[in-house]
Amino acid sequence: MRGAPIDVLQRVPLFADLNPGELAQIALLFKERDFDQGTTIIQEGSGGAAFFVIEAGEATVSIRGTPHSTLGPGEYFGEIALIDEGPRMATITAASRLDCWGLTYWDFRPLVEANGVIGWKLLQRMAMMLRDARGQ
Amino acid sequence: MSRIVPLRAAVDVAIHGAKAVGLGQALRDGLPVPDGFALSGPLVEAVAAGDEDAEAEVIAAVAALAAPFAVRSSAIDEDGEASSFAGQHLTLLNVATAQALPEALREIWWSANSDAAITYRQKVGRFSRPSVAVVVQTLLAPETAGVLFTRNPVTGADERLIEASWGLGEAVVAGLVIPDHFLLDREGRVRERRPGYKTVAIRPLASGGTVEETLPPQQVERLCLDDAQLAELHALALRCEAVHGPDRDLEWAFAEGRLHLLQCRAITTSGS
Repeated sequence: MRGAPIDVLQRVPLFADLNPGELAQIALLFKERDFDQGTTIIQEGSGGAAFFVIEAGEATVSIRGTPHSTLGPGEYFGEIALIDEGPRMATITAASRLDCWGLTYWDFRPLVEANGVIGWKLLQRMAMMLRDARGQ
Repeated sequence: MSRIVPLRAAVDVAIHGAKAVGLGQALRDGLPVPDGFALSGPLVEAVAAGDEDAEAEVIAAVAALAAPFAVRSSAIDEDGEASSFAGQHLTLLNVATAQALPEALREIWWSANSDAAITYRQKVGRFSRPSVAVVVQTLLAPETAGVLFTRNPVTGADERLIEASWGLGEAVVAGLVIPDHFLLDREGRVRERRPGYKTVAIRPLASGGTVEETLPPQQVERLCLDDAQLAELHALALRCEAVHGPDRDLEWAFAEGRLHLLQCRAITTSGS
């Protein structure tokens, strides 16, 4: 099957404002990516160009060596790398076998550049999430 | 443009990558390269994306090749003279069947988009979409394998440097053993031979994948190449230089007593 299942992406808050047609366009760009338990998927400070949505399994998040949180199905990580070319902000490790769907910068950027409506909706949602993260 | 061609028909670096074209050229020049296929970057990406037609195309084409397979990336900008992605992109040894290839290709495609590979791309100023072509070859089960530099990559001296160990050459490439070390002069005379400390060998498993086998004590410090094999390697180095030019980095293996060339690329670092 080509692309991520729509029902997996519907659980992702980042995509909550997209209509079914827009979601289907993004879904086609995702590729399956599975990790064995214990794999370091993202290393804080390294470069990166992929964003992942978890379909099954759990991952741990740590920042500067300190455990921060656990991620499960429907949650995601690495989204900042879709937008900038900066270093990863946390380390993500597969706490179990982890079935994910990955989207790369190279696939995401042309879609957003070609479709301002999708880009604007994602930007609004990210701004909202930033406010939430700052406790405002 | 054919998305999958026999290795000997791989001629365009922009389609099949430098590794595939190098091996294809070596085959056309009669060098002893194991047979295989070259898959284009767009085909590998289509397989990674779950395109069922692309998966079927790969499985049907590769059915002509004896399994198991060694699957290596041949990314379009890989193995340039100034930079090498060799350590960043995945190689999968002993993929047991053609039906297992799509999953192997997906893993290799993602290895080129991993954080480690992206960090390397940023470091060398190539933050751009990787095009991941792939080489699929019949996997050998070598008695001995390793690397050969046609010029000493550390000192720049005009001499052959050979590092060798038992089993698959990945034990040498991945640094799992202290390999046997040989220096040959331009005429093939052995200047130096130093046994390594080879406690393990990587062997193919019948079910697919590989295993690290603990070696018996008598093999740990025993030289794994004799004079006749060193002479064969020297002859191979001469032929590779004649075909591809000087300063080559070879991967090779002796399987069932025959010498095979697995890779021939430009040396990327030199002390000279």
